[in-house]
Amino acid sequence: MSSSLPEQTQTPAPAGVFTLVITGAPYSSQAPQTALGFARAALAANKRIDRIFLYGDGVHLASALSVPPSDELNLSEAWAAFLAENSIAGVACIASALRRGLVNDSEMQRYGLPGSNLRAPFEIAGLGEWVDSAASGSRVIYFHKGG
Amino acid sequence: MRALIIIDQPPYGSWEGREALDMALSLAAFDQPVALLFCGAGVNWLRKGQDAGKVQQKSIERNLAAAPIFGVEALLADAGACDQYGLAEADLLDDVCITDFGTELTGGFDHVAFAG
Repeated sequence: MSSSLPEQTQTPAPAGVFTLVITGAPYSSQAPQTALGFARAALAANKRIDRIFLYGDGVHLASALSVPPSDELNLSEAWAAFLAENSIAGVACIASALRRGLVNDSEMQRYGLPGSNLRAPFEIAGLGEWVDSAASGSRVIYFHKGG
Repeated sequence: MRALIIIDQPPYGSWEGREALDMALSLAAFDQPVALLFCGAGVNWLRKGQDAGKVQQKSIERNLAAAPIFGVEALLADAGACDQYGLAEADLLDDVCITDFGTELTGGFDHVAFAG
């Protein structure tokens, strides 16, 4: 009897399209790092990722102002590089982002804030982006803080 | 696509439940069929007569009462969790349906997501 798992050749989603929703914050949860590992494995297996959606505390991942010590992985930077290299959309929910102090230039001007801190290529948009993924038949995987 | 959003966190202690409710309302706004299920400590969302003023928050009772108006198809409460928290049907908001949370229930949905 073999103990190895059969190789995955199909997913329930059409053409193996995934959407990743990250709700756990970097450095207080494992969610962003686990999601990045999943995303790299998915692309390596020739699956497609239509978008990354940051929700709740997950929006902190899109901050341009996080500066971990130089011998630690900068999760925001790593995610931004992955999205840019693979032309994958990274979207932070606008309501979650504003609540937690993550703003782009237009929101900075709208609310008269002293600065903006959204890291490119992340964008800020509404929950409609997530609805679009869910309704399109993409397989949506959630990365929560756990525990 | 039929979606089930599950809230298993108590109200007021974190924003995860509120943000899960926003997800359900957003699906409904885009005409996607969606139901909300409350389980574990999440059933405390469904208590009548909540007053959140002392913790300087808005009561979620009105938001939940409005959910069916905005197109959320059902507010479901897990029977076991209601028993655990001493909630009888009379203690719950109107329009809440007590059900058993299990694979038979979730199998009827294409998309199932937990709050946080």
